[in-house]
Amino acid sequence: MGVRFEAVSKVFPDGTVALDRLDLTFETGEFVVLLGPSGSGKTTACRILAGLEEASGGRITVDGRDITGLPPRERGMSMVFQNYALYAHKSVYDNIAYPLRVRKTPKGEIDRMVRAMAALLQIDELLARRPAQLSGGQAQRVAVARALVWQPDICLMDEPLSNLDALLRLHTRTELKRLHGELGKTFVFVTHDQEEAMTLGTRIAVLNEGKLIQFDTPKRVYHQPRTRFVAEFIGRPAMNTLEGEIAGNRFRAGGLELPVAGRAEGPVVFGIRPEHLVIRESPTAHSIAFELDVAELVEPDTLLFVRKDGVALVARGKLDPDRLSKGAAVHLEFPEDQRHFFDAETGERQGEHQGKHTS
Amino acid sequence: MSRAWRGAALAAVLAILVVALTPYLWIFLTSFKSRLDALADTPVWLFTPTLEHYPTVFLDKGYLPLVWNSVLVASSTTLLSLVIGVPAAYVFARHDFAAKEDLFFFFLTTRMAPPISVVVPMFLLFSALGITDRPLAVILAHSTFNLSLVVWMMRGFFADIPREIDEAAMMDGHSRAGMFLKVLVPLSAPGLAATAVLCFILSWNEFLYAFVLVAFEGRTLTVGIPGLVTPHGTLWGQVAAVAVVATLPIIVFTFLVQRHLVRGLTFGAVKG
Repeated sequence: MGVRFEAVSKVFPDGTVALDRLDLTFETGEFVVLLGPSGSGKTTACRILAGLEEASGGRITVDGRDITGLPPRERGMSMVFQNYALYAHKSVYDNIAYPLRVRKTPKGEIDRMVRAMAALLQIDELLARRPAQLSGGQAQRVAVARALVWQPDICLMDEPLSNLDALLRLHTRTELKRLHGELGKTFVFVTHDQEEAMTLGTRIAVLNEGKLIQFDTPKRVYHQPRTRFVAEFIGRPAMNTLEGEIAGNRFRAGGLELPVAGRAEGPVVFGIRPEHLVIRESPTAHSIAFELDVAELVEPDTLLFVRKDGVALVARGKLDPDRLSKGAAVHLEFPEDQRHFFDAETGERQGEHQGKHTS
Repeated sequence: MSRAWRGAALAAVLAILVVALTPYLWIFLTSFKSRLDALADTPVWLFTPTLEHYPTVFLDKGYLPLVWNSVLVASSTTLLSLVIGVPAAYVFARHDFAAKEDLFFFFLTTRMAPPISVVVPMFLLFSALGITDRPLAVILAHSTFNLSLVVWMMRGFFADIPREIDEAAMMDGHSRAGMFLKVLVPLSAPGLAATAVLCFILSWNEFLYAFVLVAFEGRTLTVGIPGLVTPHGTLWGQVAAVAVVATLPIIVFTFLVQRHLVRGLTFGAVKG
């Protein structure tokens, strides 16, 4: 059951490989986020699912039914576009009613459904307006209403919040999450914003260069990133990663030396999130001294950019930056259960040692 | 400074208006002048108007059917050019294919040859097909230039509509054809109207093709005018009457779609 991508590829006429044998399966009712940098293939995957783009290879099934060659109208899906794509010559009411009209819904039914959906999205006051008379946030709501009014099984959203200003983006995000909970439909949401992905998704599919890197709950993507790429892509500021070497139960990178137990010797990438570094003002048994370079206030936290013999790290904590001056000593602890190790060549996550890991 | 510029601009506009409108005013007045007044050495502004020319030329001389011919030819070529050209323009605006811009330019080159060089072969071709002296011949001939106009203008209008509108329409349940006919065509209606009017005007005013391809039954208004140049002299009053009637629909149409027409000619056609 659910939606299944089987080895779906997309090569554009100019030779660009947008999707490289993508395998992805998710259940109906989920809020799936396709996350990746530009060129990762996330939008292409969404458009192929919609039927707006033809796959070059592979197949897609929905509840066991092969939909690979079907035109968009036979897929039971709707879509919200980044630029809203409202019909400029129709009123808000007619925009929302349009998919119902095209699908030959009885007249009385149309009116009832349009008004119900408008009420749900709090745009009942705007029904008589034209798209040109709407603000960005209002236009986005109309686009969402149009996509959901006919009760499609799956609603696709291609970066729907990108054209909204920051505050409205947060608000609409919450609305979408609420809407998903109320309607119980499958949402597929494309974004390059890791924060949007973390807050919205029941599961996040991280894509890079046309390949699926990790498909997991936000929690696991954050705590157990499968590759160095995912580790650095999720979380702001990005995870600290250091290329170094393990020898004699010690990890060395530049002037930094950390005791690590039970790990294979050889080159490795060590990672730890800024918010997981423990900042001490005076040295402790496990702390390592660094020199402060820059302190940035990100209320309520402070970001400390520190250095030690060719190693640069970012730490996030609750220190008052006014009490620190450039060059001051900062003592950092590296909690064992927050450390990540990645293969130096492939970037793959290395197994947890001694099975000790939270989440 | 800006006041001086305004004055200068106003004067320039006024001068252009005088130059453009004087001949028309002249024709308009002449159509109400008696033969004597029309031929007066010194043009007269004050004269006793006569209404004789209009009934004479349109009823007695049987020019009324020519009005119908002109309407038939202009509407038909407009319709034909739109039906063929609008979908073509859409494809040019949306899809990429080999030698697309070359083909697009080719449409324009059809307008570069002097019409006189094309009309003779066209006459021979239509003779062979047995359709000379019928409005159909003129309709086809006019469509050759109107088609390129439609493709050039409408491509710009379609390019103005975001591609996502097409996709939204298909997600909303339309087939590709349904999307085009039910969403894209209504959305481009202003551009469509401007293009249609321009097609109509170009065909309505055209003389050379119509003159060569039809002689009697299928004559259009423009072709009818030289018929009033008789061995006994030019019947200026009647020529003027025909000219006035011939310009009326153009004036009406232009006023109706003036705004879209300017936009279509400057913006839509340039942006390809």
